[in-house]
Amino acid sequence: MAEWNAYYQNEDEDEEQEEGEQSGGDYKVTGRDSLVFLVDASKEMFIKGEDGEPSNFDMTMQVVRSVYTSKIISSHRDLVALVFYGTEQSKNPRNSFKYVYVYHDLDEPGAKRVQEVDALRGEKGARLAAETMGSGETSLGDALWCCANLYSDIKLRLSHKRLMIFTCRDEPHRGDSAKDRQARTKASDLKETGVIIDLMHLMKPGGFDVAPFFRDIVSQPEDESELGLHLEPCDKLEDLQKRVRAKEQKKRAMARLNLCLGEGINVAVGIYATAVTARKPAAIRLYRETNEPVRSKTRTFHMQTGSLLLPSEIKKAQTYGKKQIVMERDEVDSIKKFQDPGLYLIGFKPMEKLKTHHHIRPAVFLYPEEGEVKGSACLFSALLMKCSERNVFALCRCVSRRNYPPRFVALVPQREEVDEGKVQFTPPGFNVIYLPYADDLRTLDPPQCPSASQIQVDKMKEIVSKLRFKYRSEAFENPVIQQHYRNLEALALDMMAPEDTEDLIMPKVDQINHRLGPLAEEFKDLVYPAGYNPESKSVAKRKTAIVGGVAEKKPKAEVPEDELRAHVQNGTLGKLTVPVLKEACKQFGVRTTGTKKQELIDALTTRLAA
Amino acid sequence: MAGTKSALVLCMDVGFSMSNSAPGEEPPFELAKKVIQKFVQRQVFAENKDELALVLFGTDSTKNPLDRDGQYQNITVHRHLMIPDFELLEEIENQVHPESQQADWMDALVVCMDLLQTETKGKKFDRLNVALLTDLSTQANQDHLDVIIENLKQAGITLQFFLPFPAEDDEEGGGDSDRRGPGHPGTGKGLSREQKESLDLVKHVMLSLDEEDGLDQVYTFRDAIEQLCMFKRIERRPMAWPCQLTIGSCLSIRIVGYKAVTEERLKKMWVTVDAQSNQKEDVKRETVYCLDDDNETEVKKDDTIQGFRYGSDIVPFSKVDQDQMKYKHDGKCFAVLGFTKQNLVRRHQFMGSQVVKMFAPKDDEHAGVALSALIRALDELQMVAIVRYAYDRRSNPQVGAAFPCVKQDYECLMYVQLPFMEDLRQFTFPSLENNKKLSPSDTQLSAVDSLIDSMMLVQKDDDDADQKDIFKVHHIPNPAFQRHFQCLHHRAVNPGTPLPPMEPWLKAALERPDVISERCQAPLEEIKRKFPLIEVEKKKKLKTSAQIFGKDAEEPDAKKAKGDEEEDYNLADIAEGSVTSVGSVDPARDFRTLIKLKSLPFGEVCQQLTHRIEQLLSNKNTHYYMKSITCIQAFREQSVKFLVVEEKKEEAAVPSAEDTGDVDDLLDMM
Repeated sequence: MAEWNAYYQNEDEDEEQEEGEQSGGDYKVTGRDSLVFLVDASKEMFIKGEDGEPSNFDMTMQVVRSVYTSKIISSHRDLVALVFYGTEQSKNPRNSFKYVYVYHDLDEPGAKRVQEVDALRGEKGARLAAETMGSGETSLGDALWCCANLYSDIKLRLSHKRLMIFTCRDEPHRGDSAKDRQARTKASDLKETGVIIDLMHLMKPGGFDVAPFFRDIVSQPEDESELGLHLEPCDKLEDLQKRVRAKEQKKRAMARLNLCLGEGINVAVGIYATAVTARKPAAIRLYRETNEPVRSKTRTFHMQTGSLLLPSEIKKAQTYGKKQIVMERDEVDSIKKFQDPGLYLIGFKPMEKLKTHHHIRPAVFLYPEEGEVKGSACLFSALLMKCSERNVFALCRCVSRRNYPPRFVALVPQREEVDEGKVQFTPPGFNVIYLPYADDLRTLDPPQCPSASQIQVDKMKEIVSKLRFKYRSEAFENPVIQQHYRNLEALALDMMAPEDTEDLIMPKVDQINHRLGPLAEEFKDLVYPAGYNPESKSVAKRKTAIVGGVAEKKPKAEVPEDELRAHVQNGTLGKLTVPVLKEACKQFGVRTTGTKKQELIDALTTRLAA
Repeated sequence: MAGTKSALVLCMDVGFSMSNSAPGEEPPFELAKKVIQKFVQRQVFAENKDELALVLFGTDSTKNPLDRDGQYQNITVHRHLMIPDFELLEEIENQVHPESQQADWMDALVVCMDLLQTETKGKKFDRLNVALLTDLSTQANQDHLDVIIENLKQAGITLQFFLPFPAEDDEEGGGDSDRRGPGHPGTGKGLSREQKESLDLVKHVMLSLDEEDGLDQVYTFRDAIEQLCMFKRIERRPMAWPCQLTIGSCLSIRIVGYKAVTEERLKKMWVTVDAQSNQKEDVKRETVYCLDDDNETEVKKDDTIQGFRYGSDIVPFSKVDQDQMKYKHDGKCFAVLGFTKQNLVRRHQFMGSQVVKMFAPKDDEHAGVALSALIRALDELQMVAIVRYAYDRRSNPQVGAAFPCVKQDYECLMYVQLPFMEDLRQFTFPSLENNKKLSPSDTQLSAVDSLIDSMMLVQKDDDDADQKDIFKVHHIPNPAFQRHFQCLHHRAVNPGTPLPPMEPWLKAALERPDVISERCQAPLEEIKRKFPLIEVEKKKKLKTSAQIFGKDAEEPDAKKAKGDEEEDYNLADIAEGSVTSVGSVDPARDFRTLIKLKSLPFGEVCQQLTHRIEQLLSNKNTHYYMKSITCIQAFREQSVKFLVVEEKKEEAAVPSAEDTGDVDDLLDMM
């Protein structure tokens, strides 16, 4: 059991990062990311759609809220601001701008802010907005200027600055060319300071025309394709959410490496983590008196002298067959070093040689880094096209960082895919699939079982067809993490009880039963003999096991001292079970930090051999 | 296989004929010793429960339980049956030498059999084996041959022979012994009469034990050494996970899961020991908590509580409350949520670190049929089951896919974890194909085409549809483990010597196969011509001391020191509060200020700073390291200035201030 459990993190146990590999994409973070929502608050934004569709304003607030909460979960150190323009009331740091209402200035989002955005949603929200801000004249220039001030008031170093304009008016100043000009100037000032301006234009009757005004306001897209500027306005919440999400996350390479095809042919590539297991964050320690966070310092010192040990004063050791083997710290590192970091092409294989079950780690994504080696994108693109066309993958040896042993990876080509709205949903590049070594495959002994007959198979096919659905990877929320954050939210906001979470990975039993109708019984009649109950057997077994287990556990497992010594002498301690070893440790007053069998054995051996 | 254990007797001939060899060839004794060393080494690191004994024959002395009435002479039980350790390795290294007697290998075999019978009493072994290493130069006593064979069969003892020469001549090769080259020394010499007779005897024994493949267990020393080079794969016993696959509440199928693929790790961790005593007990690690104030006031662990971050808020949340409010579920489950097309589950979205194979329980053929129906239905429809999977009550539930897997001799479901919404990062990347500047031309594309042709690792035979994969990653042992054990073994047996280079076979196993390297030469040259690649000049990523101290750090430069003087300096800093000692908040600034003010002697200020640096370095944290680097920078800069002043005073040569090597070490450490 212990072995299986090792792969499932127990709650609250700080997980040791596996060689830092899983630590996600944030390498060399040099500052904070920031995002300003600049939202049109004019009357047009509050017009409800046909059939009770939410207003553009309502939709925007939902998106803002979801960004707030996702930032809290995934990147709480990012700064976010919410600013309205075209308001009647004004509220900004020095109150120097009219018709601009800074609802939230640039700061880390917290529980209170989420609540405040919530208040602006729906019917009630529209009323609240009308009361507090109202709709008035529009000066986008002033609004942009005000946002520029928000950025400059921040004392922290900002690495990524983005501003998103949400509006359904393509001519905000109704042809007032002076105001248009001022807005353009302010926009270019902002862009000069490194702010990227995006337009999230929303549906309006008669269509939204980007050309006359906003084309000059927004930043030029990264590439020259048409993808950067979405010409179609959003009319669905889902679309808007997707567009915002795609822009809102700054992509950071986990590593920049060379993909070496041969001597002197190095393509610069960045490695990106596109799926990283989200875990509940680690707890932080607070000082009881003040609730302020405390810092922890770990020190290594000498037991006898009490003096701090410098790195040069410690070594590393392992014990095998009763012998301690000692190495210098840098030797331990050097053992792991095979080559310098990089990807080295071994050759190509047809796609069918990539086995589904050869999976040991989540994949990462490869994209060229034209900024490191010029010409990389072209060669990369050619490789991508040809691999995809010929349905082959590239096999590479991969050393992801310094002093990491090599692993072999399959570079699987992935062509770009865009949806009807020209929004990219699959980026172009190679997926990097980590391949197992011989050690990673286990030998199993599959039981010999009779196969099902075609009638039985066909019945199951009916069942399968009844329960078909279209799988989407983003459809399932993690109930553990969601519950955790709902709990925190409730505590932070002094709510009576946390909001209910729906467990999306719970089977909808009633619906399934209903859909299957008599099929389940029919299938069972075909495969199970009368009186066979798949549940009863194991349940009965388990019950006796529990009863027996309790009864058996009571007598303490003790081994006489001389027997233990004999085991130590012969190196056969491994024969004893973990509980027995633990008991023996207690018996001899051996203190062990570990609970692994080997650690117990090591501890006992050192104690008894002395 | 794990779960089983074996008892093995290594029985080695150390008699005088073993030292005979043709000029330039290694004597059989040395080769046999290497075989034994490699084998024992593997066993030691595998740390399984296999037990091992060592019997030597041809020894000058006699030490065995059957030694009676002049029988079984010159045979020594060197080590009784027990788990092998480094002591045994050292003994083999230092105590096993060629000796000057000869002994009957058949007698030695009887001693081994006796040893196995008496020493395995009361213990359970799944396999009993004797490995005999000899050159077969002595005449064997055949009197009790039938009894011996009968005893071997009854006790279930298997035999292996390791000889300096192959048991069977190459049939086609005839007498052309040169063809074998240096691979099999000894064959060229021709065998002696005793050896020929003994070899026939060996064949007789082996074929009586196993009519068909008996001779497969006769090896040459050379072959054995090559095969033993590789350290054993880490093998673990598959753990059964019995559960029920459920579809709604009316249909369930009993299943048993086994982890089939997972990233294996070394069983042992490095422990920290004191460099002088090599004792881990001498090293203590301690974690203290302190407030984020000027004095870094320490607080007791009991005075701290647990909290979590919710965006900008920090929410105190005790463990008790957390346990009460956390997500709870019903435990173990494998429940179908629905079925979907296989192509909607993308390979690159597999999460987690394992693949679990689900079978029906061994004794339940009804479950077998039901599961088979599901597996085949999914396979025929090209679909997968999307399931909720929970290992047990304490573990977090997952969503995953169960793929059908239909093989020649078995069927199963393969479970892989899939992502949650929170795990995904939807990055968009600029288009590559739609970008005219980046688009490769047709000639460029055809260059890539011929590169792929030349580098295909799977070759189709023209004759039949058979494909041959010449680079199977899943047949390569993890090189990190191989290297790890190689180095450990070296250090254990040769303490005090530097670590050995990587073994050549391991290095070669990680390289592009030679055939491919040759074939892709020309296409690679073509790629080089067709695709210009220009490295963009960038500052180095790794920080060196030169970058930290500025370009001219190596030479203390008087002019530079002077020039720097007015920088970083303003009176406001100094006026701001009176600095009386080097504090912990900004030690570098305090240090500079104190030097400037000359209120304390230079030496004392330096001492205060070094003290602060030591304090900073005692914390394992990049923030502290960076702070200490700033201090060292300040220290250096002020020292250089000081030297310049002193030099002027005394006109004496003073050695350069600091050895920058230490700083490099410091950076390496980070």
